[in-house]
Amino acid sequence: MKKAGIIFKKEIKEVIRNKNIWLPILIVTAIFSIAMPLILILGSSSILKDEDTINFINKMFGQVGDPLKVLIGFALKQLLIFLLILPAMVPSLIAPSSVIMEKENNTLEPLLATPIKTSELLLGKSLTALVPALVISTINFIILTIVVDIAAFIKLGYAPLPTAEWVIVAFLLSPILSFILTMASIIVSSRSTDIRSAQGIGAVIIFPIYLIIGLQLAGFFLLNVTYLLIACLLLLLVCPLVLRLAVKIFNRENILTRWKMKA
Amino acid sequence: MITVENLTKKFGDITAVENIFFDINESEIFGFLGPNGAGKTTTIRMLSTLISPTSGKITIDNRDTHSNSEYIRSITGLLTESPGMYEKISAYDNLEYYSSFYNIPGTRRKNNIEKYLKMFDLWDRKEDLAGTYSKGMKQKLALSRALIHEPKILLLDEPTAGLDPESAHMVRTFIDSLKKEKTTVFLCTHNLEEASNLSDRVCIIKGKIIRIATLSELQNDDKNKRTEIIFADDAERYVKLMEEIGQIKNIHTEKNRATVVIEKPETSNPLIIKKLIYSGAEILYFNEIKATLEEIYLDLIKDEKIK
Repeated sequence: MKKAGIIFKKEIKEVIRNKNIWLPILIVTAIFSIAMPLILILGSSSILKDEDTINFINKMFGQVGDPLKVLIGFALKQLLIFLLILPAMVPSLIAPSSVIMEKENNTLEPLLATPIKTSELLLGKSLTALVPALVISTINFIILTIVVDIAAFIKLGYAPLPTAEWVIVAFLLSPILSFILTMASIIVSSRSTDIRSAQGIGAVIIFPIYLIIGLQLAGFFLLNVTYLLIACLLLLLVCPLVLRLAVKIFNRENILTRWKMKA
Repeated sequence: MITVENLTKKFGDITAVENIFFDINESEIFGFLGPNGAGKTTTIRMLSTLISPTSGKITIDNRDTHSNSEYIRSITGLLTESPGMYEKISAYDNLEYYSSFYNIPGTRRKNNIEKYLKMFDLWDRKEDLAGTYSKGMKQKLALSRALIHEPKILLLDEPTAGLDPESAHMVRTFIDSLKKEKTTVFLCTHNLEEASNLSDRVCIIKGKIIRIATLSELQNDDKNKRTEIIFADDAERYVKLMEEIGQIKNIHTEKNRATVVIEKPETSNPLIIKKLIYSGAEILYFNEIKATLEEIYLDLIKDEKIK
Protein backbone atom coordinates (compact mmCIF):
# COMPACT_ATOMS: atom_id res chain seq x y z
CA MET A 1 0.00 0.00 0.00
CA LYS A 2 3.12 2.18 0.06
CA LYS A 3 2.62 2.88 -3.64
CA ALA A 4 -0.94 4.12 -3.04
CA GLY A 5 0.62 6.52 -0.53
CA ILE A 6 3.09 7.78 -3.17
CA ILE A 7 0.21 8.58 -5.52
CA PHE A 8 -1.82 10.22 -2.78
CA LYS A 9 1.13 12.37 -1.65
CA LYS A 10 1.79 13.68 -5.16
CA GLU A 11 -1.83 14.21 -6.11
CA ILE A 12 -2.93 15.91 -2.93
CA LYS A 13 -0.30 18.60 -3.58
CA GLU A 14 -1.87 19.19 -6.99
CA VAL A 15 -5.36 19.33 -5.47
CA ILE A 16 -4.19 21.92 -2.93
CA ARG A 17 -2.70 24.03 -5.75
CA ASN A 18 -5.78 23.79 -7.96
CA LYS A 19 -7.95 26.91 -7.65
CA ASN A 20 -10.68 25.35 -9.81
CA ILE A 21 -11.32 22.91 -6.98
CA TRP A 22 -11.07 25.36 -4.10
CA LEU A 23 -13.14 28.19 -5.50
CA PRO A 24 -16.50 26.34 -5.67
CA ILE A 25 -15.82 24.81 -2.24
CA LEU A 26 -15.21 28.25 -0.71
CA ILE A 27 -18.33 29.65 -2.38
CA VAL A 28 -20.51 26.78 -1.13
CA THR A 29 -19.06 27.11 2.39
CA ALA A 30 -19.59 30.87 2.42
CA ILE A 31 -23.19 30.56 1.25
CA PHE A 32 -24.45 27.51 3.14
CA SER A 33 -22.30 27.53 6.27
CA ILE A 34 -22.02 31.25 6.96
CA ALA A 35 -24.43 33.49 5.04
CA MET A 36 -27.57 31.32 5.09
CA PRO A 37 -27.55 30.41 8.81
CA LEU A 38 -26.77 34.00 9.78
CA ILE A 39 -29.61 35.36 7.67
CA LEU A 40 -32.02 32.69 8.94
CA ILE A 41 -31.24 33.12 12.62
CA LEU A 42 -30.56 36.84 12.83
CA GLY A 43 -33.47 37.66 10.54
CA SER A 44 -35.95 35.29 12.23
CA SER A 45 -37.57 38.02 14.38
CA SER A 46 -38.65 39.97 11.33
CA ILE A 47 -39.99 36.79 9.73
CA LEU A 48 -42.18 36.25 12.82
CA LYS A 49 -43.83 39.63 12.30
CA ASP A 50 -45.48 38.12 9.24
CA GLU A 51 -48.92 36.76 10.11
CA ASP A 52 -48.73 33.99 7.51
CA THR A 53 -45.54 32.64 9.12
CA ILE A 54 -47.22 32.54 12.55
CA ASN A 55 -50.18 30.71 11.01
CA PHE A 56 -47.79 28.27 9.31
CA ILE A 57 -46.02 27.52 12.64
CA ASN A 58 -49.33 27.04 14.43
CA LYS A 59 -50.52 24.73 11.66
CA MET A 60 -47.30 22.69 11.61
CA PHE A 61 -46.48 22.49 15.33
CA GLY A 62 -49.74 23.49 17.11
CA GLN A 63 -49.73 26.19 19.74
CA VAL A 64 -46.12 26.75 20.84
CA GLY A 65 -44.74 28.77 23.71
CA ASP A 66 -41.77 30.26 21.88
CA PRO A 67 -42.41 30.51 18.14
CA LEU A 68 -38.91 31.92 17.53
CA LYS A 69 -37.26 28.85 19.02
CA VAL A 70 -39.53 26.56 17.00
CA LEU A 71 -38.85 28.50 13.82
CA ILE A 72 -35.07 28.31 14.32
CA GLY A 73 -35.30 24.60 15.12
CA PHE A 74 -37.23 24.10 11.88
CA ALA A 75 -34.72 26.23 9.93
CA LEU A 76 -31.83 24.18 11.33
CA LYS A 77 -33.46 20.99 10.09
CA GLN A 78 -33.71 22.58 6.66
CA LEU A 79 -30.06 23.66 6.85
CA LEU A 80 -29.02 20.16 7.84
CA ILE A 81 -29.55 18.89 4.32
CA PHE A 82 -27.05 21.42 2.95
CA LEU A 83 -24.36 19.66 4.96
CA LEU A 84 -24.55 16.96 2.30
CA ILE A 85 -23.54 19.24 -0.56
CA LEU A 86 -19.80 19.34 0.13
CA PRO A 87 -19.19 15.62 0.78
CA ALA A 88 -20.98 14.98 -2.50
CA MET A 89 -19.40 17.84 -4.43
CA VAL A 90 -15.73 17.47 -3.47
CA PRO A 91 -15.21 13.91 -4.83
CA SER A 92 -17.03 14.82 -8.03
CA LEU A 93 -14.68 17.81 -8.44
CA ILE A 94 -11.47 15.84 -7.81
CA ALA A 95 -11.90 12.19 -8.80
CA PRO A 96 -12.95 12.44 -12.46
CA SER A 97 -10.05 14.72 -13.35
CA SER A 98 -7.51 12.70 -11.36
CA VAL A 99 -7.77 9.79 -13.81
CA ILE A 100 -8.83 11.59 -16.92
CA MET A 101 -6.07 14.20 -16.73
CA GLU A 102 -3.55 11.37 -16.62
CA LYS A 103 -5.11 9.99 -19.78
CA GLU A 104 -5.18 13.37 -21.46
CA ASN A 105 -1.56 14.14 -20.58
CA ASN A 106 -0.41 10.66 -21.65
CA THR A 107 1.06 10.00 -18.20
CA LEU A 108 -1.23 7.09 -17.39
CA GLU A 109 0.43 4.54 -19.68
CA PRO A 110 3.94 5.03 -18.21
CA LEU A 111 2.42 4.92 -14.74
CA LEU A 112 0.60 1.68 -15.47
CA ALA A 113 3.83 0.27 -16.88
CA THR A 114 5.46 0.51 -13.44
CA PRO A 115 5.06 -2.41 -11.00
CA ILE A 116 2.11 -0.74 -9.29
CA LYS A 117 -0.94 -2.95 -8.67
CA THR A 118 -4.26 -1.75 -10.09
CA SER A 119 -5.72 -1.86 -6.58
CA GLU A 120 -2.93 0.43 -5.32
CA LEU A 121 -3.59 2.89 -8.12
CA LEU A 122 -7.33 2.81 -7.41
CA LEU A 123 -6.70 3.32 -3.70
CA GLY A 124 -4.29 6.21 -4.30
CA LYS A 125 -6.70 7.93 -6.66
CA SER A 126 -9.68 7.32 -4.35
CA LEU A 127 -7.87 8.70 -1.30
CA THR A 128 -7.02 11.85 -3.27
CA ALA A 129 -10.75 12.54 -3.59
CA LEU A 130 -11.98 10.99 -0.35
CA VAL A 131 -9.58 12.56 2.16
CA PRO A 132 -10.20 16.18 1.07
CA ALA A 133 -13.95 15.43 1.02
CA LEU A 134 -13.85 14.20 4.63
CA VAL A 135 -11.57 16.99 5.85
CA ILE A 136 -13.54 19.74 4.10
CA SER A 137 -16.88 18.33 5.26
CA THR A 138 -15.67 18.19 8.85
CA ILE A 139 -14.28 21.74 8.69
CA ASN A 140 -17.55 22.86 7.11
CA PHE A 141 -19.52 21.19 9.89
CA ILE A 142 -17.38 22.90 12.54
CA ILE A 143 -17.74 26.31 10.85
CA LEU A 144 -21.50 25.88 10.53
CA THR A 145 -21.84 24.77 14.14
CA ILE A 146 -19.82 27.74 15.40
CA VAL A 147 -21.73 30.23 13.23
CA VAL A 148 -25.15 28.81 14.20
CA ASP A 149 -24.31 28.59 17.91
CA ILE A 150 -22.90 32.13 18.10
CA ALA A 151 -25.85 33.57 16.16
CA ALA A 152 -28.41 31.57 18.15
CA PHE A 153 -26.72 32.48 21.43
CA ILE A 154 -26.90 36.15 20.56
CA LYS A 155 -30.52 35.85 19.47
CA LEU A 156 -31.92 33.23 21.86
CA GLY A 157 -29.36 32.87 24.59
CA TYR A 158 -28.59 29.21 23.87
CA ALA A 159 -26.45 27.12 21.47
CA PRO A 160 -28.62 24.58 19.62
CA LEU A 161 -25.84 22.58 17.93
CA PRO A 162 -24.74 19.87 17.65
CA THR A 163 -27.90 17.80 17.66
CA ALA A 164 -28.07 14.03 17.13
CA GLU A 165 -29.21 14.59 13.54
CA TRP A 166 -26.28 16.87 12.78
CA VAL A 167 -23.78 14.40 14.24
CA ILE A 168 -25.25 11.58 12.12
CA VAL A 169 -25.07 13.71 8.98
CA ALA A 170 -21.55 14.99 9.67
CA PHE A 171 -19.86 11.82 10.85
CA LEU A 172 -21.87 8.98 9.33
CA LEU A 173 -23.89 10.02 6.29
CA SER A 174 -21.31 12.42 4.83
CA PRO A 175 -18.38 9.94 4.82
CA ILE A 176 -20.60 7.22 3.32
CA LEU A 177 -21.82 9.62 0.67
CA SER A 178 -18.28 10.79 -0.11
CA PHE A 179 -17.15 7.19 -0.52
CA ILE A 180 -19.99 6.34 -2.90
CA LEU A 181 -19.46 9.47 -4.98
CA THR A 182 -15.70 8.93 -5.11
CA MET A 183 -16.20 5.42 -6.45
CA ALA A 184 -18.89 6.61 -8.87
CA SER A 185 -16.58 9.36 -10.14
CA ILE A 186 -13.73 6.87 -10.59
CA ILE A 187 -16.08 4.60 -12.55
CA VAL A 188 -17.18 7.51 -14.74
CA SER A 189 -13.64 8.62 -15.39
CA SER A 190 -12.50 5.05 -16.18
CA ARG A 191 -15.25 4.63 -18.74
CA SER A 192 -15.13 8.10 -20.26
CA THR A 193 -13.55 8.67 -23.61
CA ASP A 194 -12.83 12.36 -23.06
CA ILE A 195 -12.67 14.93 -20.30
CA ARG A 196 -15.86 16.76 -21.24
CA SER A 197 -18.06 13.70 -21.05
CA ALA A 198 -16.48 12.79 -17.68
CA GLN A 199 -17.18 16.25 -16.29
CA GLY A 200 -20.72 16.15 -17.69
CA ILE A 201 -21.52 12.79 -16.15
CA GLY A 202 -19.72 13.85 -12.93
CA ALA A 203 -22.10 16.80 -12.61
CA VAL A 204 -25.10 14.49 -13.08
CA ILE A 205 -23.89 12.07 -10.39
CA ILE A 206 -24.60 14.55 -7.60
CA PHE A 207 -28.09 15.30 -8.95
CA PRO A 208 -29.82 12.94 -6.41
CA ILE A 209 -28.43 15.11 -3.60
CA TYR A 210 -30.01 18.21 -5.13
CA LEU A 211 -33.24 16.24 -5.53
CA ILE A 212 -33.29 15.33 -1.82
CA ILE A 213 -32.60 18.99 -0.92
CA GLY A 214 -35.41 20.13 -3.21
CA LEU A 215 -37.88 17.57 -1.86
CA GLN A 216 -37.21 18.55 1.76
CA LEU A 217 -37.48 22.26 0.96
CA ALA A 218 -40.76 21.55 -0.84
CA GLY A 219 -42.04 19.95 2.36
CA PHE A 220 -42.23 16.35 1.19
CA PHE A 221 -40.36 15.22 4.31
CA LEU A 222 -38.28 16.57 7.17
CA LEU A 223 -35.08 14.73 8.05
CA ASN A 224 -35.02 13.20 11.50
CA VAL A 225 -32.83 10.63 13.25
CA THR A 226 -34.88 7.67 11.98
CA TYR A 227 -34.83 8.81 8.36
CA LEU A 228 -31.14 9.56 8.58
CA LEU A 229 -30.26 6.17 10.06
CA ILE A 230 -32.33 4.42 7.39
CA ALA A 231 -30.53 6.47 4.71
CA CYS A 232 -27.13 5.51 6.22
CA LEU A 233 -28.10 1.85 6.26
CA LEU A 234 -29.28 1.88 2.65
CA LEU A 235 -26.19 3.74 1.46
CA LEU A 236 -23.95 1.37 3.41
CA LEU A 237 -25.45 -1.45 1.39
CA VAL A 238 -24.57 0.44 -1.79
CA CYS A 239 -20.90 0.90 -0.71
CA PRO A 240 -19.64 -2.64 -1.45
CA LEU A 241 -21.52 -2.63 -4.75
CA VAL A 242 -19.87 0.55 -6.04
CA LEU A 243 -16.49 -0.59 -4.71
CA ARG A 244 -16.86 -3.89 -6.56
CA LEU A 245 -17.92 -2.13 -9.73
CA ALA A 246 -15.04 0.36 -9.49
CA VAL A 247 -12.50 -2.45 -9.01
CA LYS A 248 -14.01 -4.34 -11.96
CA ILE A 249 -14.05 -1.35 -14.30
CA PHE A 250 -10.79 0.20 -13.15
CA ASN A 251 -8.49 -2.23 -14.92
CA ARG A 252 -5.45 -1.40 -16.99
CA GLU A 253 -6.88 -2.46 -20.31
CA ASN A 254 -10.17 -0.68 -19.82
CA ILE A 255 -8.76 2.66 -18.84
CA LEU A 256 -6.10 2.55 -21.52
CA THR A 257 -8.03 1.38 -24.55
CA ARG A 258 -11.22 3.34 -23.91
CA TRP A 259 -9.40 6.60 -24.42
CA LYS A 260 -8.80 8.54 -27.60
CA MET A 261 -5.10 9.30 -27.33
CA LYS A 262 -3.94 12.75 -28.23
CA ALA A 263 -1.68 12.84 -31.27
CA MET B 1 14.58 -13.36 -23.21
CA ILE B 2 11.20 -12.78 -24.90
CA THR B 3 9.12 -15.53 -26.51
CA VAL B 4 5.85 -14.76 -28.21
CA GLU B 5 3.68 -17.68 -29.34
CA ASN B 6 0.56 -17.46 -31.50
CA LEU B 7 -0.36 -14.10 -30.07
CA THR B 8 -3.70 -12.63 -31.10
CA LYS B 9 -5.37 -9.50 -29.87
CA LYS B 10 -8.89 -8.49 -30.82
CA PHE B 11 -10.76 -5.32 -29.88
CA GLY B 12 -14.36 -6.31 -30.47
CA ASP B 13 -14.60 -7.25 -34.15
CA ILE B 14 -11.24 -5.72 -35.01
CA THR B 15 -8.20 -7.97 -34.98
CA ALA B 16 -5.15 -5.87 -34.15
CA VAL B 17 -2.61 -8.72 -34.37
CA GLU B 18 -3.14 -12.31 -35.39
CA ASN B 19 -1.04 -15.34 -34.52
CA ILE B 20 2.23 -13.47 -34.25
CA PHE B 21 5.30 -15.25 -32.95
CA PHE B 22 8.93 -14.39 -32.36
CA ASP B 23 11.84 -15.00 -30.03
CA ILE B 24 14.17 -12.26 -28.87
CA ASN B 25 17.54 -13.12 -27.37
CA GLU B 26 19.19 -11.43 -24.43
CA SER B 27 21.00 -8.19 -25.42
CA GLU B 28 19.46 -8.31 -28.89
CA ILE B 29 18.04 -5.20 -30.53
CA PHE B 30 14.88 -6.34 -32.26
CA GLY B 31 13.44 -3.87 -34.78
CA PHE B 32 9.66 -4.06 -35.05
CA LEU B 33 8.47 -2.41 -38.23
CA GLY B 34 5.13 -1.90 -39.87
CA PRO B 35 2.77 0.72 -41.25
CA ASN B 36 0.34 2.66 -39.06
CA GLY B 37 -2.29 0.33 -37.62
CA ALA B 38 -0.11 -2.75 -38.15
CA GLY B 39 -0.35 -3.70 -34.46
CA LYS B 40 3.00 -2.40 -33.21
CA THR B 41 1.62 -0.42 -30.27
CA THR B 42 -0.78 -3.24 -29.40
CA THR B 43 2.15 -5.68 -29.31
CA ILE B 44 4.28 -3.36 -27.18
CA ARG B 45 1.34 -2.93 -24.77
CA MET B 46 0.95 -6.69 -24.50
CA LEU B 47 4.68 -7.11 -23.88
CA SER B 48 4.55 -4.52 -21.12
CA THR B 49 1.47 -6.30 -19.65
CA LEU B 50 -0.69 -3.21 -20.07
CA ILE B 51 -3.23 -5.21 -22.05
CA SER B 52 -3.89 -8.94 -22.18
CA PRO B 53 -3.75 -11.07 -25.30
CA THR B 54 -7.01 -12.51 -26.61
CA SER B 55 -5.09 -15.74 -27.17
CA GLY B 56 -1.51 -16.91 -27.29
CA LYS B 57 1.32 -16.66 -24.83
CA ILE B 58 4.15 -14.29 -23.97
CA THR B 59 7.13 -15.44 -21.91
CA ILE B 60 9.61 -12.87 -20.65
CA ASP B 61 12.68 -13.82 -18.63
CA ASN B 62 11.29 -17.38 -18.47
CA ARG B 63 8.06 -16.21 -16.85
CA ASP B 64 4.58 -16.12 -18.27
CA THR B 65 3.46 -12.48 -18.47
CA HIS B 66 -0.13 -13.32 -17.57
CA SER B 67 0.66 -14.59 -14.07
CA ASN B 68 3.81 -12.50 -13.42
CA SER B 69 2.77 -9.08 -14.67
CA GLU B 70 4.17 -7.18 -11.69
CA TYR B 71 7.58 -8.84 -12.06
CA ILE B 72 7.57 -8.24 -15.82
CA ARG B 73 6.84 -4.55 -15.29
CA SER B 74 9.67 -4.33 -12.78
CA ILE B 75 12.23 -5.54 -15.34
CA THR B 76 10.94 -3.67 -18.38
CA GLY B 77 11.20 -0.02 -19.26
CA LEU B 78 8.60 1.46 -21.59
CA LEU B 79 8.88 4.49 -23.81
CA THR B 80 5.42 5.11 -25.22
CA GLU B 81 4.63 6.62 -28.59
CA SER B 82 3.23 9.80 -27.01
CA PRO B 83 5.19 10.08 -23.80
CA GLY B 84 3.57 12.47 -21.38
CA MET B 85 5.12 14.01 -18.29
CA TYR B 86 3.54 15.75 -15.31
CA GLU B 87 3.89 19.25 -16.65
CA LYS B 88 3.37 21.12 -13.39
CA ILE B 89 6.22 19.45 -11.54
CA SER B 90 9.94 19.58 -12.26
CA ALA B 91 11.78 17.14 -14.50
CA TYR B 92 13.65 15.84 -11.45
CA ASP B 93 10.41 15.31 -9.50
CA ASN B 94 8.90 13.49 -12.48
CA LEU B 95 11.75 10.98 -12.43
CA GLU B 96 11.70 10.79 -8.64
CA TYR B 97 7.96 10.04 -8.73
CA TYR B 98 8.09 7.29 -11.36
CA SER B 99 11.22 5.70 -9.88
CA SER B 100 9.60 5.46 -6.46
CA PHE B 101 7.34 2.69 -7.78
CA TYR B 102 10.36 0.43 -8.33
CA ASN B 103 12.13 -1.37 -5.59
CA ILE B 104 15.38 0.59 -5.80
CA PRO B 105 17.24 1.97 -2.77
CA GLY B 106 17.04 5.76 -2.40
CA THR B 107 20.71 6.49 -3.08
CA ARG B 108 20.79 4.40 -6.24
CA ARG B 109 17.59 6.06 -7.38
CA LYS B 110 19.09 9.50 -6.93
CA ASN B 111 22.29 8.42 -8.70
CA ASN B 112 20.30 7.07 -11.63
CA ILE B 113 18.24 10.24 -11.92
CA GLU B 114 21.45 12.27 -12.01
CA LYS B 115 23.10 9.85 -14.44
CA TYR B 116 20.34 9.96 -17.04
CA LEU B 117 19.57 13.66 -16.70
CA LYS B 118 23.26 14.37 -17.28
CA MET B 119 23.49 11.84 -20.11
CA PHE B 120 20.64 13.54 -21.97
CA ASP B 121 21.86 17.09 -21.22
CA LEU B 122 18.93 17.90 -18.96
CA TRP B 123 20.75 18.24 -15.64
CA ASP B 124 21.09 22.01 -15.82
CA ARG B 125 17.32 22.33 -16.19
CA LYS B 126 16.35 19.61 -13.72
CA GLU B 127 14.37 22.01 -11.52
CA ASP B 128 12.36 23.46 -14.43
CA LEU B 129 8.75 22.39 -14.78
CA ALA B 130 8.44 19.60 -17.33
CA GLY B 131 5.76 21.70 -19.06
CA THR B 132 8.40 24.24 -20.04
CA TYR B 133 10.46 21.61 -21.89
CA SER B 134 10.59 21.42 -25.68
CA LYS B 135 9.24 18.32 -27.44
CA GLY B 136 12.74 16.92 -27.86
CA MET B 137 13.61 17.54 -24.20
CA LYS B 138 10.40 15.81 -23.12
CA GLN B 139 11.31 12.85 -25.32
CA LYS B 140 14.73 12.63 -23.63
CA LEU B 141 13.11 12.95 -20.22
CA ALA B 142 10.69 10.16 -21.12
CA LEU B 143 13.60 8.00 -22.21
CA SER B 144 15.28 8.70 -18.87
CA ARG B 145 12.07 7.62 -17.17
CA ALA B 146 12.07 4.33 -19.09
CA LEU B 147 15.66 3.70 -18.02
CA ILE B 148 15.53 4.93 -14.44
CA HIS B 149 15.25 1.46 -12.87
CA GLU B 150 17.93 -0.07 -15.16
CA PRO B 151 15.53 -2.48 -16.87
CA LYS B 152 16.64 -5.76 -18.43
CA ILE B 153 14.27 -5.12 -21.32
CA LEU B 154 13.60 -1.82 -22.97
CA LEU B 155 10.43 -1.40 -25.04
CA LEU B 156 10.82 1.64 -27.24
CA ASP B 157 8.07 3.12 -29.39
CA GLU B 158 9.58 5.71 -31.75
CA PRO B 159 12.48 6.71 -29.48
CA THR B 160 13.87 9.43 -31.74
CA ALA B 161 10.57 11.00 -32.81
CA GLY B 162 10.72 14.75 -32.36
CA LEU B 163 14.44 14.85 -31.66
CA ASP B 164 16.88 17.10 -33.50
CA PRO B 165 19.55 15.24 -35.53
CA GLU B 166 22.19 15.64 -32.82
CA SER B 167 19.93 14.35 -30.04
CA ALA B 168 18.64 11.55 -32.27
CA HIS B 169 22.23 10.49 -32.96
CA MET B 170 22.97 10.56 -29.23
CA VAL B 171 19.93 8.39 -28.47
CA ARG B 172 20.85 5.91 -31.21
CA THR B 173 24.41 5.66 -29.92
CA PHE B 174 23.02 5.09 -26.46
CA ILE B 175 20.61 2.36 -27.63
CA ASP B 176 23.50 0.66 -29.41
CA SER B 177 25.60 0.83 -26.24
CA LEU B 178 22.89 -1.01 -24.29
CA LYS B 179 24.05 -4.26 -25.88
CA LYS B 180 27.18 -4.15 -23.73
CA GLU B 181 24.99 -3.93 -20.63
CA LYS B 182 23.04 -6.98 -21.85
CA THR B 183 19.83 -5.01 -22.18
CA THR B 184 17.32 -6.42 -24.64
CA VAL B 185 15.72 -3.76 -26.80
CA PHE B 186 12.38 -4.02 -28.60
CA LEU B 187 12.45 -1.14 -31.03
CA CYS B 188 9.31 0.08 -32.80
CA THR B 189 10.18 2.68 -35.38
CA HIS B 190 9.11 4.18 -38.68
CA ASN B 191 12.68 5.34 -39.23
CA LEU B 192 13.99 2.50 -41.38
CA GLU B 193 17.53 3.81 -41.47
CA GLU B 194 17.53 3.81 -37.68
CA ALA B 195 16.15 0.25 -37.62
CA SER B 196 18.69 -0.81 -40.19
CA ASN B 197 21.63 0.63 -38.26
CA LEU B 198 20.59 -0.54 -34.81
CA SER B 199 18.70 -3.80 -35.16
CA ASP B 200 20.26 -7.24 -34.99
CA ARG B 201 17.06 -8.56 -36.55
CA VAL B 202 13.96 -6.91 -37.88
CA CYS B 203 10.39 -8.07 -37.84
CA ILE B 204 8.00 -6.63 -40.43
CA ILE B 205 4.39 -6.82 -39.37
CA LYS B 206 1.02 -5.88 -40.76
CA GLY B 207 -1.45 -7.51 -38.40
CA LYS B 208 0.43 -10.74 -39.11
CA ILE B 209 4.16 -11.31 -39.28
CA ILE B 210 5.41 -10.72 -42.81
CA ARG B 211 9.08 -11.50 -42.24
CA ILE B 212 11.65 -11.85 -39.45
CA ALA B 213 15.30 -11.79 -40.48
CA THR B 214 18.62 -10.03 -40.16
CA LEU B 215 19.27 -7.23 -42.61
CA SER B 216 21.86 -9.29 -44.49
CA GLU B 217 19.43 -12.23 -44.78
CA LEU B 218 16.87 -9.88 -46.27
CA GLN B 219 19.42 -8.38 -48.63
CA ASN B 220 20.54 -11.81 -49.78
CA ASP B 221 17.04 -12.76 -50.85
CA ASP B 222 17.11 -13.03 -54.65
CA LYS B 223 14.22 -10.62 -54.99
CA ASN B 224 16.12 -7.99 -53.06
CA LYS B 225 19.25 -8.09 -55.20
CA ARG B 226 19.73 -5.09 -57.41
CA THR B 227 22.06 -4.16 -60.20
CA GLU B 228 23.06 -0.58 -60.73
CA ILE B 229 24.13 0.52 -64.22
CA ILE B 230 25.37 3.99 -65.12
CA PHE B 231 25.31 4.81 -68.83
CA ALA B 232 27.09 7.55 -70.72
CA ASP B 233 23.68 8.73 -71.97
CA ASP B 234 20.02 8.53 -70.91
CA ALA B 235 19.25 5.18 -69.21
CA GLU B 236 15.63 5.20 -70.41
CA ARG B 237 16.87 4.33 -73.93
CA TYR B 238 17.99 0.86 -72.77
CA VAL B 239 14.95 -0.19 -70.71
CA LYS B 240 13.20 -2.14 -73.52
CA LEU B 241 16.45 -3.83 -74.47
CA MET B 242 17.04 -5.06 -70.91
CA GLU B 243 13.42 -6.19 -70.54
CA GLU B 244 13.93 -8.55 -73.52
CA ILE B 245 16.09 -10.71 -71.28
CA GLY B 246 12.92 -11.74 -69.50
CA GLN B 247 14.14 -12.26 -65.94
CA ILE B 248 13.86 -8.62 -64.99
CA LYS B 249 11.27 -7.81 -62.33
CA ASN B 250 11.60 -4.06 -62.23
CA ILE B 251 13.69 -1.29 -63.74
CA HIS B 252 13.91 2.14 -62.24
CA THR B 253 15.71 4.88 -64.18
CA GLU B 254 16.87 8.31 -63.21
CA LYS B 255 18.83 10.30 -65.83
CA ASN B 256 21.74 8.06 -66.84
CA ARG B 257 21.30 5.64 -63.93
CA ALA B 258 19.24 2.43 -64.02
CA THR B 259 18.49 0.25 -61.01
CA VAL B 260 17.47 -3.23 -62.10
CA VAL B 261 15.74 -5.80 -59.91
CA ILE B 262 16.45 -9.15 -61.48
CA GLU B 263 16.02 -12.81 -60.66
CA LYS B 264 19.27 -14.75 -60.28
CA PRO B 265 21.61 -11.80 -60.94
CA GLU B 266 24.67 -14.07 -61.03
CA THR B 267 23.45 -15.63 -64.28
CA SER B 268 21.40 -12.70 -65.61
CA ASN B 269 23.92 -9.90 -65.17
CA PRO B 270 26.46 -11.28 -67.74
CA LEU B 271 23.55 -11.53 -70.24
CA ILE B 272 22.59 -7.89 -69.62
CA ILE B 273 26.16 -6.65 -70.09
CA LYS B 274 26.54 -8.69 -73.29
CA LYS B 275 23.26 -7.42 -74.74
CA LEU B 276 23.92 -3.79 -73.83
CA ILE B 277 27.47 -3.79 -75.29
CA TYR B 278 26.31 -5.48 -78.53
CA SER B 279 23.67 -2.79 -78.90
CA GLY B 280 26.34 -0.10 -78.62
CA ALA B 281 25.58 1.16 -75.10
CA GLU B 282 28.45 2.89 -73.34
CA ILE B 283 28.47 1.59 -69.76
CA LEU B 284 30.35 3.74 -67.25
CA TYR B 285 29.59 1.69 -64.15
CA PHE B 286 28.02 -1.72 -63.46
CA ASN B 287 27.62 -3.17 -59.99
CA GLU B 288 25.49 -5.47 -57.91
CA ILE B 289 24.14 -3.45 -54.97
CA LYS B 290 22.35 -4.36 -51.78
CA ALA B 291 18.78 -3.16 -51.31
CA THR B 292 18.23 -0.82 -48.41
CA LEU B 293 15.88 -1.83 -45.62
CA GLU B 294 13.49 0.84 -46.85
CA GLU B 295 13.35 -0.75 -50.32
CA ILE B 296 12.91 -4.22 -48.86
CA TYR B 297 10.24 -2.99 -46.45
CA LEU B 298 8.27 -1.20 -49.15
CA ASP B 299 8.40 -4.28 -51.39
CA LEU B 300 7.20 -6.57 -48.61
CA ILE B 301 4.36 -4.25 -47.63
CA LYS B 302 3.39 -3.88 -51.31
CA ASP B 303 3.38 -7.67 -51.77
CA GLU B 304 1.22 -8.01 -48.66
CA LYS B 305 -1.29 -5.51 -50.07
CA ILE B 306 -1.52 -7.48 -53.32
CA LYS B 307 -2.20 -10.68 -51.35
